[in-house]
Amino acid sequence: MTQNISYIQSYITIQNNEIVLNGTSVFKIEPTDFADFSKQAYRNFEMQYPKFFKMDALSKLAFLGSELLLSPITSTEQENNIALVLANKSSSLDTDVKYQESISDKENYYPSPAVFVYTLPNICLGEISIRHQLKSENSFFIFDAFNAEFLSNYSGILLNTNKADSVLCGWVEFFNESYKAFLCIISADENTKYKNETINTLYNK
Amino acid sequence: MKGVAITGMGIISAIGNSVEENYISLTENKIGISRIQNISTVHADIIKVGEIKKTNEELIDELKLNENNNFSRTAMIGTLAAKQAVENAGITDINEFRTGLISATSVGGMDMTERHYYDYFEKPELVKYITCHDGGDVAEKIAEELGLKGMVTTISTACSSAANSIMLGARLIKTGKLDRVIVGGADALAKFTINGFKTLMILSDDYNKPFDNTRKGLNLGEAAAFLVLESDEIVEKQNKKVLARVSGYGNANDAFHQTASSENGDGAYLAMKKAFDVSGLKPSEIDYINVHGTATPNNDLSEGRALLRIYENEKVPDFSSTKPFTGHTLAAAAAIEAVYSVLAIQNNVVYPNLNFEVPMEEFDLKPQTTLKNKNIEHVLSNSFGFGGNCSTLIFSKS
Repeated sequence: MTQNISYIQSYITIQNNEIVLNGTSVFKIEPTDFADFSKQAYRNFEMQYPKFFKMDALSKLAFLGSELLLSPITSTEQENNIALVLANKSSSLDTDVKYQESISDKENYYPSPAVFVYTLPNICLGEISIRHQLKSENSFFIFDAFNAEFLSNYSGILLNTNKADSVLCGWVEFFNESYKAFLCIISADENTKYKNETINTLYNK
Repeated sequence: MKGVAITGMGIISAIGNSVEENYISLTENKIGISRIQNISTVHADIIKVGEIKKTNEELIDELKLNENNNFSRTAMIGTLAAKQAVENAGITDINEFRTGLISATSVGGMDMTERHYYDYFEKPELVKYITCHDGGDVAEKIAEELGLKGMVTTISTACSSAANSIMLGARLIKTGKLDRVIVGGADALAKFTINGFKTLMILSDDYNKPFDNTRKGLNLGEAAAFLVLESDEIVEKQNKKVLARVSGYGNANDAFHQTASSENGDGAYLAMKKAFDVSGLKPSEIDYINVHGTATPNNDLSEGRALLRIYENEKVPDFSSTKPFTGHTLAAAAAIEAVYSVLAIQNNVVYPNLNFEVPMEEFDLKPQTTLKNKNIEHVLSNSFGFGGNCSTLIFSKS
């Protein structure tokens, strides 16, 4: 097997009411719930994408992170062969529970299709794909804990076998108002900016 | 490009309980769409479905399951079809070679869960039916009934599921990871899918009319089908009869909407293009296209436009949707249509696209409406799923 070299190009962390892009805090507000935080972040960065307000919390979290990483590098004119490889611990459980509550009373239930479509974790990959017109490879995995080795290997294989030009990979976890997103873009383009870092060290920063 | 050998097939659908019965129905215009009998639903008088006219009790008897079993209907029809396929391939020792099972489903054990959902907390004897809810349970049960000890996995990508299961199987044979693999899918009717598609307003109250200007939507169906794929080494060693070959496959992301296809069929176009790349065939070499053709306004427009993009400046080959016979069998659709594609190659026929009357106003595309006999070397079969998951398979004469 050929030596597989890939470089971290950029990364973003969203947690505790704060967004940190490439190591710099770019948005931070006083403690509030995620619905409010995400709305304020959306407005702060003047994102023009009304579909955002229909998304569930997991998709909003993934959308915010990917928006700040991908918008500078994607183009509507050309094919963006950027693979998506995301993972988390709680799958779509936050939305699953909300959906279950809407049908648990046999006498009084309302299964909303708008909620139902988000009862899968990989829907957030679809939202990102639709937003940036990515017709590329994508996968969502469920792990007990952040698994840097797996994400790194899987992304490396995609790059190495020419399945993708770059990979947006990382962790998007949301359950019961507890959340953390860590996303990074990796590709074979040489970038020495993060040469002493790994996905794992950046995640834990 | 020789493609991966298909050496066995099994099927159960609304138009027959065996490969032979299905073929007779397809060539004698015997449709399987009717009023629903096995599920009590408030929509019974409005919808028409492609139902397998066997009760769960009859299926249990046929499979000789004991009374403590917790088979979902999906697992039962899946087991029946998989057993037929293995027998058809002349396999006597399932673990003789590295053999895998890749099964597709979207309903899984939902039929049981929805039946017992409000009672199982109070009635512990019902909990066993909740444990078969997971989609993966179907493949595990089929593997157990076959005595298969090798790789078992499940694919659930909505209506393209079985195409992706056939594609994964073909790739595992090609790369030498497996010697033999049973691929296909199963989906039983359930209130879950009936109500879900009703909510999306894409169920027809009449017989479905693919590619017709007045089409109103789809009829749901239930079915299971499996194919046995084998490596050329085994085919040679055992002097096996090859029914046809999987020569091309492609899967693409439409990147448009959770439950709709893009207007220009971007995903469909890419899937077909990739399948042609893998097969090395030119679009003009296809003799018959078994279209996805669900008869929803959205699918047929999107798929038709994608076909016209593939066949830019050339004639679109004879095409038809077989869903007026079977209904749309969701995750199993690509597997039953794979069986129909192989039968088209073996018997040199194009099946009629029933119920077609008025061409669509958006383009000049007319499906084949009567049974047509002609030499068939290559068949292209499309299957597109929710989530923009689009797949194409190409089957070729061996």
